[in-house]
Amino acid sequence: MSSSRFPIPQGTLDMLILQILSLEPAHGYGIAQRLEQISKSVVQVNQGSLYPALHRLEQKGWLKADWKQSETGREAKFYSLTRSGHKQLRIEKDSWARLTGAVQLIFDEGVAQ
Amino acid sequence: MKRMLNWFRLRRLEGDLDRELQYHIDRRVTDLIHSGLPEAEARRLVSLELGGATQVQEEVRDIWLTRWLRDFVYDLRFSARSFLRSPSFTATAVLSLGLGIGATTALYSLIDQVVLRALPINHPERLVLIDWIGFQNAETLGTDNLMSYPICRELQQQKEFFDGVFCRAATTINLSTGGEPRLTAAELVSGTYFSVLGVSPALGRLLTIDDDQIPGSSPVVVLSYDFWKNQFGSAQDIVGRKVLVNQYPMTVVGVAAPAFHGIDVGEVPSLWIPAVMSAQAIPGFNTMLDRRTRWVQILGRLKQNVSLAQAQTGLQPWFKAMLDEDTRRTNISRASAEQRRRFLASTLALTPAPQGHSVLRHDLLRPLCVLFVATAVLLALACLNVAGLFLARGSARQREISTRLALGASRGRIGRQLLADSVLLAIAGGLLGLVMAPIAVRTLIAFLPQNTAATNLQANVDTRLLLFAFLVSLATGFLAGSAPALQAGRKSLDSSLRERGGTPSSGLALRRAIVTTQLAFTLILVVAAGLFIRTLSGLLAKGPGFETSSLISFGIKPALNGYSPAEASQLIRRISEGIRNSPSTQSSAIALVQLLLGGAWNNSLTIQGRERFVTDREVQMNAVTPGFFETLRTRIVAGRDFNEHDSLDVARVNQSLPVSTNGQRVVIVNEAFVKRYFGGRNPLGARVAMGAAPDAKPDTEIIGVVENISYRSVREQWEQAYFPIGTELSGSNFYVRFRGTPESAFRSIRAILRNADPTLPITYFRTLDEQIDRSLNTERMLAALSSSFGTVALLLSLVGLYGVMSFVVTQRTREIGIRLALGATRLSTVRLVLRDALLMIAAGTAIALPCVWALGRLVASQLYDVKATDPVTILAATFVLSSTALGAAFIPARRASIVNPTDALRFE
Repeated sequence: MSSSRFPIPQGTLDMLILQILSLEPAHGYGIAQRLEQISKSVVQVNQGSLYPALHRLEQKGWLKADWKQSETGREAKFYSLTRSGHKQLRIEKDSWARLTGAVQLIFDEGVAQ
Repeated sequence: MKRMLNWFRLRRLEGDLDRELQYHIDRRVTDLIHSGLPEAEARRLVSLELGGATQVQEEVRDIWLTRWLRDFVYDLRFSARSFLRSPSFTATAVLSLGLGIGATTALYSLIDQVVLRALPINHPERLVLIDWIGFQNAETLGTDNLMSYPICRELQQQKEFFDGVFCRAATTINLSTGGEPRLTAAELVSGTYFSVLGVSPALGRLLTIDDDQIPGSSPVVVLSYDFWKNQFGSAQDIVGRKVLVNQYPMTVVGVAAPAFHGIDVGEVPSLWIPAVMSAQAIPGFNTMLDRRTRWVQILGRLKQNVSLAQAQTGLQPWFKAMLDEDTRRTNISRASAEQRRRFLASTLALTPAPQGHSVLRHDLLRPLCVLFVATAVLLALACLNVAGLFLARGSARQREISTRLALGASRGRIGRQLLADSVLLAIAGGLLGLVMAPIAVRTLIAFLPQNTAATNLQANVDTRLLLFAFLVSLATGFLAGSAPALQAGRKSLDSSLRERGGTPSSGLALRRAIVTTQLAFTLILVVAAGLFIRTLSGLLAKGPGFETSSLISFGIKPALNGYSPAEASQLIRRISEGIRNSPSTQSSAIALVQLLLGGAWNNSLTIQGRERFVTDREVQMNAVTPGFFETLRTRIVAGRDFNEHDSLDVARVNQSLPVSTNGQRVVIVNEAFVKRYFGGRNPLGARVAMGAAPDAKPDTEIIGVVENISYRSVREQWEQAYFPIGTELSGSNFYVRFRGTPESAFRSIRAILRNADPTLPITYFRTLDEQIDRSLNTERMLAALSSSFGTVALLLSLVGLYGVMSFVVTQRTREIGIRLALGATRLSTVRLVLRDALLMIAAGTAIALPCVWALGRLVASQLYDVKATDPVTILAATFVLSSTALGAAFIPARRASIVNPTDALRFE
């Protein structure tokens, strides 16, 4: 794996998972593949931290899980967003936008001077 | 919360996680193989990506259960396993805790029910008992805190202090609800009773002030909820039904609220009757409105803004005026000057009575407190025992703990392990206590005196106290358990790991202190046991002063079955003759007052010997038939017994003394009477008069002197006077000396009674041996429980001492070996070890003796013929403790003496 990609910032993994699942329910491996696509281009996600994160989100009630048949015909645990999960995603997106906005503002100020 | 739930579905969660991860790995491997990697390489890569499946599993588990909770579960498992590996340690610890917790909880539950619990009414804290302190110069009917009914009516007018005042008297009536009449507990109450207590009806109405106006005018009753349920099957049409109270018809007007059981926890009434019906409820009682008859307890509800002290002070002017007026309007004028002075010096006292009024409480308060202190000591002992065991175990585990510390465990982590130990032990002990407490309460209740009234005592356990005892044991376990951890912490790891099993270890001083305290506590309990056993055996040896074997007594109350006095005396004569003619009867007699049941008839006597004087205290009186003393096998030491000519009209025995046919009045007194009032001189021929009035005429001749016998209880020895009984008696107590077995005597007497009247109310029917047993219930309870506590305590502390001494010997094996090798004798090694034990025993005794002295006051009133600081008992207890303790210490000491020097040195 190339070390030019920077590690994913603390706490953003949860947000990414919520974002991925907001599009459609997926099983762990599916999410991992999506993350892989993202990580190939930009950030590095440790696959090992995916499952603890999923279980943490489930514990918080933002995700719910069902055993369903996957595309290969085998039973897989599919995660989907709950109502409060959708709400959480909005909150996270919002605060992310504000954070980046604020950081951008500070950078812009630096440029202006 | 969700995490707690996870605990219970851990297995399923694990399974799911396994499947989930397996799915991921399989898919990834397949994908990688498709992209051209060899399978082995693919698997390695996947494992690398995930950072190890085990690692992921661990992390996910931390999310399911918080870390500490998960560790704690492991700790508990570990503790349980290690406890199961040393079953004798576990059994001892759990048993001592269970005993301590169970006994303390049981005692407290009983104290709570008898002494502490407030009545289930609104604002019970404002309820006060109003009592006359001083001399009332009145006839007495009942036991405690009695006053006359007219005073209650006057107190009801004191509206500036009370929201209301009521009076009550417990009695037993012969109730017929359609079938056979049964003796039933009832409460005679003023019309204000229910309104002042704030009790509501479950059905119909309760008694009101209108039910309490003119004597005999209100033949109504209110049933208790339980009685209505059990006796009438909760019949909805109960209101308006007639019941027969002593054959007198009365109407049920209502049923009281379910939670209300009267105001006496020891005597729960089945029904309430207005006080104005007292003549019907207590046949022969017609002095309800008499100011000089005291028979009711008076309670009041203080006004919201009036304090107890204010009310008490505020009532005195009214009370003094009433006393003053009483000296004019009643027969006080006939009393002696001394009695008059005492009468006028009386005061009115108010005491808080949120728990109502109960004779049982009065009787049991002291014994229960004594036992509670004893169980608390026992619980402390049990905790000390557990602490000692933990310390012993801790020293054994010191190497294990050091090793774990060396391997990187934090001290906190090890402390948590020890906490798990104590939690587990406390849970087990608490559970055992929970099982034992109700059994213990039931046993205790069985020791209490029983009569016709049901007690409201239940084998319920107070959860607050159970929790408290549980926490105490938890704390003990934890404190004791953490000691080895702290010790392990203090020493350098390096040195403790290098230590071998034979070097002295710290913690020994603490264990010695624990054993010393245990010995002290034990000595206190053993002394107490000794005192109570001596009291009981002293009372049993003293006995009632007459021969109890082959003696039956029973009481009948014909008046409760509608008999007129004349009919009653005919019936009694018929029964008496039947019994006398029965082949199983040796002799029989009748007494007015029953013995050893607490009933009494007391009055002063005016004595005319060489000079005229009044007895300085009331004399116990009884009226008996000729042959009474012969039946009891009580010796007549001087003079003669009554004969047929002595006994005549005794119907108004309280007012005037019986006159015999030849116009002579006679009395027999006992030895205590002669000793006190005649200084041992011959009293025969001296004359007495009933009462202390200046105009009393001493015309009753003392014709005999008998030995002292017990009257109300075995304990007391008092001056007594016996008068001849007449034939006109409303109730009678029979004493029958029988031949053969008690069973056949019971059968033949029952047949005679059934023959006379199958529905005759029998108030009691038992052998005198049983009667003595019953009257000594409290003493028996104290002796039995204190000696079992003493035994348990002794065992616990012997185990503790033995443990410490064995430990010491093991630790010093090498030293002893060297001593022996250098020429010490076997005997000197035994002495070496025993000296250690003796020191602890001596220290324990030194601690215990002042405590015994201090606690002596608590038990003094429960003792008979022995002082709380009785040197013989204390010496004997100390001897028992020291000899058994030395015995326990001798076993390890002997082991030390047979140490083989070469073995001991090689052992290192």
